[in-house]
Formats: sequence, structure tokens, C-alpha cells
Amino acid sequence: MMVAGISLVVWSGYQNLRERRLAAQARQANRVTLIPDNPNSPGTASADAPDAPSPLLGKPAPPLSLVDLNGRHVTLSDFKGHPLVVNFWGTYCAPCKIEMPWLETFSKKYAADGFDVIGVTYDSEVGKDTISKDVQKLGVTYPILLSDPKAEKDYLSDTEVLPMSFYVDRTGKVVQVTAGLGSEDQLEAMVKETIAAGAK
Amino acid sequence: MSKPQMIRSALTLARTLALIAAAAPFGHAQFGMDTPAKPKNYVTYTAEAQTVPAAKPAVLQLRFQLLQGFHVNSHTPKSEFLIPTALTLQPAAGVKAGDLEYPPGQPFSFSFDPKEKVDVYAGAFIVKLPVVATAGEHTMDGTLKYQACDNASCYPPRTIPVKILFTAKSRD
Repeated sequence: MMVAGISLVVWSGYQNLRERRLAAQARQANRVTLIPDNPNSPGTASADAPDAPSPLLGKPAPPLSLVDLNGRHVTLSDFKGHPLVVNFWGTYCAPCKIEMPWLETFSKKYAADGFDVIGVTYDSEVGKDTISKDVQKLGVTYPILLSDPKAEKDYLSDTEVLPMSFYVDRTGKVVQVTAGLGSEDQLEAMVKETIAAGAK
Repeated sequence: MSKPQMIRSALTLARTLALIAAAAPFGHAQFGMDTPAKPKNYVTYTAEAQTVPAAKPAVLQLRFQLLQGFHVNSHTPKSEFLIPTALTLQPAAGVKAGDLEYPPGQPFSFSFDPKEKVDVYAGAFIVKLPVVATAGEHTMDGTLKYQACDNASCYPPRTIPVKILFTAKSRD
């Protein structure tokens, strides 16, 4: 009875997934793109959402060496021994701005655990002044760094989804990777897990 | 099987499935759309041949279609930081183009923050282009700049080329 029940649930789940995939393929097939995306336009390389786990998961976080909004040089090693979130965001990204105040709250709430947040602005079209203005409006006080091609290659690979967060435990290992906006509770749970992950 | 036995079996099944779900690795989370086929274009332009009267004011309709589940900011987003959808056209010989007319957007809020509304285009939208053209076939080139999001994520701004083809016909 149990085996039959589980088999039925698994089979129906598979059928449901298969039907959704077929429907999506049909939608794509019916759509004729008369004018393709401009291959020379910025951001055309691949804006695909990551549907596979990040290759960084379980590995040491790649080094970061970036400049903050005040022109100061900041590296990931400055946060050695601290659990932290490296959060990629952009001024054009509305969901990023929903979660950034949450990250600000958690950076204060879990400061005693050594928890830190680093924001990395992945936004090639705006200057420092606009970013500063936006950050101020959001009430964010954690470090905001300006991204560069190396950081984007090392962390985002060919993914351009924002927000994208990398949770790094105090040993420097990436223990969680998220793409897109989750709930505040989900985010806090991952912060807690990250703090606990590297605890001795 | 008796009714209590069936209920017990169903509860056991539910517990087993919950345990299977809980045992799944929790290191990678993607919030937002379930998109089996990852798109390269979020907006497509449908080039339709249009005919207008020559030497008279007329309006061309430019149709854009978004992929299901995605939206772009309207031409007048509510935040100065958001990137408006905007069409830029090159001048064309024999065509006097007026100001583009963009449709109004519709309110959209992201999950987990229903109070914050943005102004977007979703589904399809039409941009109107007033023209006065000399008789004959005309081509206008331009680009549409947009920045797309789904219900949980955003993607960098992009541009797509737009080619407008129309014929201006004299009455005689």
C-alpha cells in the first residue's frame, strides 16, 4: 500500500513536470522572434537563471578585492573568521531592494556572532553617486562594493540573475547560494545556518 | 482495508514524504519562476507590414510581446532608479515622426512585499508612432531598451533592434 502510494505520488509528480515542460516547449515553438536579440548589446551573453547548483557551493569563497563607495579597497580576507553574506545587487533590481533592508537588520541582529554582510553592486550603467543615493535611501550601512569583471566571473559565472547571494561560513566556505528573492524568514534561517555551519 | 487503517496509511505516507523532502540538500535555492526553457529574449518585436495614407497624419502600431511570467518597467516607472522601457528611432527619409506614445503600465508587487508597487508592462504592449510620410515604402530602424524581471529576480538591461516597415499610399 505504502509503496503503491509513493509510486503514485512520484509518477504524478513526474507527469506534472513533463506536462509543464511540454507546454513551455510548445509556447517557445509558437513564438517567432522576428528580430533576434542584439548580440552586441550589453548583458546578452547569458541572462539565464541558474537551475543547477552553483559550482561554488561547498568550496572556498573566491577572493574578492574591490573598492567601496568611499574609494577604500576591501578584500574578502578582511572578513576572515566571520560568517557572512556576499550579496550581488543592482540599482535597477526591485527585489534586491526588498531584501537589502532585511540583510541590514540581520547584520545588526547577529553582529555578536561575527556575522557580516557585503553588498556587491552589479550595475554597469550607473555611477557611484547614484549607487550611494540608492544605498542611503535603503538605509543600508554594511559595506557596498563596486563589482568588477573578475568578481562577476568568479562568483556569477555566466549568470546574471539578481539578487544573488553567497553565504560564507567562518572557515571561508560557501555553504549556501540563493538566486532571487526569498522570504525574510527563509533568509534569516540561512543566516543562522551559516553562522552555525562554521562554529567550533 | 478499514477506514482507520486507510487514514493511518495516508498519515504514514505523508510523514514519509515529509522526511524525504527534509532530507533533500539545502545549499542552493532558486526563488521565483520555474522556467524549464531559459529564454534569451524576454521581449520580442513583431514586425507587421502597415499601410498608411501618404502625406497625412497616421499612427503606426508597434507590438511587443513579453515571455510569460516576465515583466519590464513601463516607460514611466515609479522609481528614479528603475530603467524605463524606451524606444529610440533613427530618422528616415520621407518620414516625419511624432512623439512616441507609450501605454500606461500596470501595478505589480513582488512576493514578500505586496505593499511596494512598481509600474510594469506584462504580456503584450503597443507603442504608437505618429507619422506623416511621403508616398512609397519606408523603413525605420531603432532599438528598444528594457529591463526585465520575473516574480523574484531581475536581469540586466538589454536592447533589441526594431525595424518598422510600412507603406504610405496615395489615394490615386
